[in-house]
Amino acid sequence: MTPRDPLLPNAGIIARREYRDRVRSPLYVVSTIVLMGLALLVALAPIGIRYLDRGTVTRIAVVSGDPGLAQRAVAVADSILNSPPPGVDPATFEKPYRLEVTSTDAGQAGLLKGELSAILLVQRLETGQVDVTLRTAESAASARNQLLAVAAFGIGVLDWSSRLPPGTDAPPFVTPAFRVDSLVSATDGGRPLGVQEAASRGFLGVVFVVLLFMSVIIYGMWVATGVAAEKSSRVMELMISAASPRQLLTGKVLGIGAAGLTQYLAIAVPALAVLAFQDRIAEAVLGPGWSEGAPIVGLTPPLLAGYGVFFLLGFGLFALIYAAMGSFVSRPDDLQTLSLPLSLVAIAGYLTAIVALSGGGGTWIRAASLVPPFSPFVMLARIMVTAVQPWELAVSIGLLLAAVAVVSVVAARMYAAGVLLYGQRPGIRAFVAAARRAG
Amino acid sequence: MSLQVDQVTKRYGPTLALDGLSFDVRPGEVFGFLGANGAGKTTTMRICLGIVRADDGEIRWAGTPVGGLPRRTWGYLPEERGLYPRLGVLDQLVYFASLYGEKPAEARRAALGWLERFQIPDYANRRAEELSKGNQQKVQFIAAILHRPEVLLMDEPFTGLDPINLVILREAFTELRDQGRTLVFSTHQMEAAEALCESVAIIDRGRLVAGGRLRDLKRASGRRWIRIALEGIQPAPDWLGRVAGVERVHPDAAGAELELLADADPAAILNAVLANGATISQFEVIEPSLEALFIELVGRPADTDRVWTGAAPVVPVGGVG
Repeated sequence: MTPRDPLLPNAGIIARREYRDRVRSPLYVVSTIVLMGLALLVALAPIGIRYLDRGTVTRIAVVSGDPGLAQRAVAVADSILNSPPPGVDPATFEKPYRLEVTSTDAGQAGLLKGELSAILLVQRLETGQVDVTLRTAESAASARNQLLAVAAFGIGVLDWSSRLPPGTDAPPFVTPAFRVDSLVSATDGGRPLGVQEAASRGFLGVVFVVLLFMSVIIYGMWVATGVAAEKSSRVMELMISAASPRQLLTGKVLGIGAAGLTQYLAIAVPALAVLAFQDRIAEAVLGPGWSEGAPIVGLTPPLLAGYGVFFLLGFGLFALIYAAMGSFVSRPDDLQTLSLPLSLVAIAGYLTAIVALSGGGGTWIRAASLVPPFSPFVMLARIMVTAVQPWELAVSIGLLLAAVAVVSVVAARMYAAGVLLYGQRPGIRAFVAAARRAG
Repeated sequence: MSLQVDQVTKRYGPTLALDGLSFDVRPGEVFGFLGANGAGKTTTMRICLGIVRADDGEIRWAGTPVGGLPRRTWGYLPEERGLYPRLGVLDQLVYFASLYGEKPAEARRAALGWLERFQIPDYANRRAEELSKGNQQKVQFIAAILHRPEVLLMDEPFTGLDPINLVILREAFTELRDQGRTLVFSTHQMEAAEALCESVAIIDRGRLVAGGRLRDLKRASGRRWIRIALEGIQPAPDWLGRVAGVERVHPDAAGAELELLADADPAAILNAVLANGATISQFEVIEPSLEALFIELVGRPADTDRVWTGAAPVVPVGGVG
């Protein structure tokens, strides 16, 4: 950029035209409405699934060496967990939990297979104290487990009272012990996450990574197509004399990026609102007792900010490269071939992020979360489901910022050379040679 | 305060596009930049605009290297015509003017004035793709001048225009020149250049072949031509070519132009024609046309890439489209 070409106001003028041109096109309006409808359907899908699964019963196994104690545990837990909500007729109420006595091995196998939601291990110690351990995927903080903690106290009272000897020499009542053996590994800054929170994080992680991937591919191609269309219509000849390559490139990326973001928000905000109020919607549609907590309960402001940072930087990085690529084709049709390598890079980042979301955490994933162009996807996934060290986050964002800066300079140079090339087959060699010539 | 192209060299890989090119354009004049395809005209203009960097040498306007000048110094009409197909004519004119720093309201007012002037006011709110090529070209010309540039660079501005639009564009050239703007245009249409230009630069393969005031270049050539028409004899008879002192005959619809040898005497030729019994309706000693001058200097016409052999058939003066 020469001193005569400050970024503003021209980049802003170009961005405004690009934005208006996009958002006023009928295709944009129609696709936004269709996608918004689809997103709302997806957001409402869990309520539909709950409706279809409303007859599903959650199974909890009770394991104890003392059959009598086991029966008492079943009776107490059943009365607490299957208590009908206020206003519901107990006669017609369908119990959501089934408690069954089983052996340790069978219970463990059922838990691993997912047939059982939890195992309640109940035993009486030599001191007479009842010891209750809940083995589950949920954390102690979940509503169900807190009810089971109450149940444990009831089991202890019932067991103590049932073993009272005649006379007055009754042994003192010892408060039962209750602990949760949680299988959840996700944490938030060292704090174990509740199962609902962990599930929410996993769900949102997938949603965010998929949205970022789609944005990079779809809106990145918008940028490339926009550049290629200007070139094929030859209006580029006028533009390149009126504004510098850097102004043109920045304006185009900002304008089309803003149009993409507008569509993105139009799709995401109603869907997020539905997710946020899913509990109330479920209660209104299915009746009392069907609220299970909103699926975005794991979404915190820092996570949202992290998503914003990685979304903007990730999109900026890819969009700049897409713009440079668009400048090298004479017809928009040629873009598919030229953009394939970049799409593959985005796919690699996306797949790595999916592995990270499913609990993978090897050296490759850790490295990919730091190094552009994979870091926007992979670090986003990592911050959603695992603990990330502050220095890792700083390195990742720092390298991404540096990459955007370097790529913007190189892309502007390639753009300047590429937009004047006509009738040449697009290829990496032409790409590099033109960049050198522009220098 | 002039446009100085000073020893500019530009190479594209193995191809030498400009080879130490130098010439001056005086402010406020209409300057023709003449050369065949691939001579280096577009590259020179792109270097002026800062789109392409010279490998060596420098271009200055009013003593300032072009890299240090604001973009609005220049107006540019590229050879390849192009507008945003789906954008309204007025909207894109205002858009381009805004990029050059014009206020939208003023640009809109000026654009409407030029559209009126170019006889296309009804197209202001039409999409560019709905306009004919000639009208699109006029819109693009307006886009190049709306910000009132000091120097207007135009690459083949007359290509594709019908005669009526050609006249309109030439009138606009004259008006802009009278406003003190400097107009530089490349062309291989010698007739248009001859009609409009005060000075020219003739380049070939990136090198300056001749440059300066058109009148001076013609005088410096040392060649004289005779314009002749014979009563009742059409086309021009073969014996004209055998008259002593005549090197070549360029027949046309009204008669012929005789290209003379350097030491030929027009009076002797007049006597020789009369001695053949012909009745002369026109006999005039004229300067060589720009087309002829170009061929003499470059060795071929401007609209072909083939090597000019000097053999018949001869291209009629002004006949190059």
